[in-house]
Amino acid sequence: MEGPIKKILVYIDGTEQSITAAQYAICLSRALGAELTAMYVINTRALADLVKTHIFLKAEQEEYQQDLEADADRYLKHVRDLARQKGLIIDTVNTSGTVHAEIKNKIRELEIDLLIIGELSHIRSRRDEFYNESERAMRSVPCSVLIVKDEDRVWDLFESLI
Amino acid sequence: MALIDLISAEVVKVPLISKTKPEIIKELIDTLKAAGRIDETEPAYDAVLTREAKGSTGLENGIAVPHAKTDAVRSLTIAIGISPNGIDFDAIDSKPSQLFFLLLAPPDQSGPHIEALAEIARITQSRAFFNSLISAASVKQVVELFQEE
Repeated sequence: MEGPIKKILVYIDGTEQSITAAQYAICLSRALGAELTAMYVINTRALADLVKTHIFLKAEQEEYQQDLEADADRYLKHVRDLARQKGLIIDTVNTSGTVHAEIKNKIRELEIDLLIIGELSHIRSRRDEFYNESERAMRSVPCSVLIVKDEDRVWDLFESLI
Repeated sequence: MALIDLISAEVVKVPLISKTKPEIIKELIDTLKAAGRIDETEPAYDAVLTREAKGSTGLENGIAVPHAKTDAVRSLTIAIGISPNGIDFDAIDSKPSQLFFLLLAPPDQSGPHIEALAEIARITQSRAFFNSLISAASVKQVVELFQEE
């Protein structure tokens, strides 16, 4: 298709906000005829940091990584199912590492035009600005970013899509 | 979810009155019970003690982060306690622990659990922040310190 947005990436982190973002991405992808990829990043950097600081035992790191891999499979399947309901076939990507860096790399690799993320938490401390992974992705990616808000409106939009 | 979203005056105990590791864990879990964040204390207590039996979460420089997965909570829950004089928490540097972050998460919420622990790991790197916290005279002051950090 011709137009400014040919490839969309939606970041899924298991939060309700990211699922709402996926619903909006499906609607937008259908409307624009754009390719849609859903991405989940297993935050192995955080797991490694927790072992390094002795908060986690090595065995605990492995256990939680398995949990996160299961989460990734579950949430990406859910998004694929949502897309299928609306007659859309999407790609899914499951990677691991530092979240914002992985998103940035994938955007470059796939030549993504638009990143879609869920609504960000309210900034209640200076720390949030520096360490929230969605915030960091939003600031560092080379493409445009769309932040999806208003869960009820998106739900209605998604449900009305035939 | 940011750590600060989980912290309110009801889940902060200053000062902790307990003098032993099991008592500190119980006192923090009782704080969550009093705050209405947890229904049953025993399963949570057992889960944290089971985790501690595998290896102490008493870190260096007076900080301890006891945590566990448990069905006793429906969402990620934190309690913060300060023991100005410190207690023996089997810390890796053998020093008394003064600042306690107790985290409980449902078994199916590993993602938020890890994010919260990672945030605690980051903020506890700041010696100045630690000193401000253990010098805090009130619960209100502790909550404000987290908001300002």
